[in-house]
Amino acid sequence: MSTITALALILLLLMIAVGGKQGWSSFVSLMLNFCYFFLGLVLVAWHFSPLVITVILGILILATTIFMGTDDLQVSVSAFEASIIVMIIVIIMTLVAEHFVQATGFSNENSSELEGMSILIGISYVQIGMMTMILSCSGSIAEASIAIVSGIVETFRHDKHIFSRQLMLSGMQIGKHIMGTTLNTLLFGFLGNLLALFIWFAGLNYSFGTIMNNKILVTELVTVLISFIGVILTVPLSTELILWNQRKIVDNEHKTNYDTNDK
Amino acid sequence: MNLMKKWWSKHWKVLMLLFFLALGSIILVSHNQSMYRRPIGKVIAVKVIHRQKQKDEFNNIDYQYKQRLTLRVMNGKHQGKLVYANNDYSQSGGMDQRYQIGQQAFLTQLSSSNGHLTANVSGLKRDTTLVALLWIVVILVTMLFGRSGGLAFTSVILNVVFFVIAVKINVQTQANYLLLIFAVVSVLMALASLTFVYGWSKQTLATLIASLLGVGLSMLIFVVVSKITGEKGIYYESMQYVTQNYRMLYLAEVMIGVLGAVMDETSDILATMFEVKRINHNPQWRTLYDAGRSVGQSVMGPLANILLMIFLFSTLTNAVLLLRNGNSWCYTFNMCMSLGVAQSLVSGIGIVITVPVISYLAAFILARR
Repeated sequence: MSTITALALILLLLMIAVGGKQGWSSFVSLMLNFCYFFLGLVLVAWHFSPLVITVILGILILATTIFMGTDDLQVSVSAFEASIIVMIIVIIMTLVAEHFVQATGFSNENSSELEGMSILIGISYVQIGMMTMILSCSGSIAEASIAIVSGIVETFRHDKHIFSRQLMLSGMQIGKHIMGTTLNTLLFGFLGNLLALFIWFAGLNYSFGTIMNNKILVTELVTVLISFIGVILTVPLSTELILWNQRKIVDNEHKTNYDTNDK
Repeated sequence: MNLMKKWWSKHWKVLMLLFFLALGSIILVSHNQSMYRRPIGKVIAVKVIHRQKQKDEFNNIDYQYKQRLTLRVMNGKHQGKLVYANNDYSQSGGMDQRYQIGQQAFLTQLSSSNGHLTANVSGLKRDTTLVALLWIVVILVTMLFGRSGGLAFTSVILNVVFFVIAVKINVQTQANYLLLIFAVVSVLMALASLTFVYGWSKQTLATLIASLLGVGLSMLIFVVVSKITGEKGIYYESMQYVTQNYRMLYLAEVMIGVLGAVMDETSDILATMFEVKRINHNPQWRTLYDAGRSVGQSVMGPLANILLMIFLFSTLTNAVLLLRNGNSWCYTFNMCMSLGVAQSLVSGIGIVITVPVISYLAAFILARR
């Protein structure tokens, strides 16, 4: 048995043991997200436009993570709508940032691994890079929006007569906590990914100016910063959306009440 | 509306200050050419002088261009003079790039021959965009979350500083104590982020200990599984930017990568359990344990997904390149993605195993007192 199969089996067993049915669906959503990635990879290699694939994969990943992450339909619909809006903002920001930094593809640091390979593959590396930047943060946007929306729905269920302004404030209160922890999750995740590159830079005594303009590092930093912006924006947008949806439901209830009274 | 006005009248000074600081530093960074020792030129004219269709043995079709750039040198002893450079670039832009008017580029081999200067261009000046993005994050985070947003961001900066110092120490000690150094620095980073986000309390200490325990357990499982399966299917030699000490470095990467997610999770679980304890002064062990576990169950899936997305998509560019070079899906998976997938799985194991461990421990402690 290969190490990866063994690890996957252990993860599956642990998830079922700890989470039961929910653990199983967590595992399935991980597998599905992996399949989406592989599908996207193959489609890009077959010359489909990376940006179109990005939009499709983004919707699929968000939908899978959110709808399999929670059973509560009220939570998942609002969270999904909010995260789609955040995704659109992230796409626009990435397009703008990438226009200025043009940091994608490979650099001199990669030359040993590129030996003997044909780099001129006719697919825009800039677009592949944008795909990486946009979809790297899809997981965290989904997580943050579920957490905020379910927190607010919980408050709402405890006290039906709470004012929407108070709900907004409690949403931001929950949001503060989630923003702090999700930024940390993202930061540690990226630092874990960048360790080898940092050691390389330090070992070869790159100057600060060189590092801050280095193609690879700038790509990574832009990815981190755009992910941060995505998570930060998720908090107010999710809060607004769940309140808006809630108001719609309450208004409809009022309407039906009046209708029945008339008859 | 009223709320907005009140908020604005209370915070406008800080916001304005931040805004002007941002503007000032962006202007400063876009005019900092004199601080660079390497010459920098601004592109003022571009002319494509050659275009050629390229086809490789795998039927990849690409176009190669040669452009003639005129740049104005912005620093150093040739400041203000014009310099000419030729640049080769491809349509796909893997190793190279097309330059456009107005962009600033670093110059190498700047020399003068019969009256005019020539040079090679080697990459854009990218620092201004980075600084601008950084300020967008700072302004958003303080605007939306005020003080706690500022603290969260400070902890991010502090963590990066710790990380860089650890990397320096590691290089100075020839990577002999790699795992030890990064284990120590992980504890420091965890401590810093937890105290900055939640302040110092017993709950924070409990979160720290529980997170370290969770990460430690997942590392142990990984090492044992690797030993038993003989590292089959794990291709350490495919690691990027590494020349030696693959295993240790990979372990350190996994450790740091999962720590943030595990802290996120333990803090959620412990917050709920402390809340249960606060409402119900003498809770049963079972009540506490179930409360912790149910929070853990709902957060573990999405958290594992965050890391999976980061680790998978960081391999995308390489994977596309390998596929386009006539490699099979299987080979591409092994060479590009096996390490990232293993890292995601180990992280997932860490995230899941933390749930019962922390729920059990915290329930034990909270119920007894």
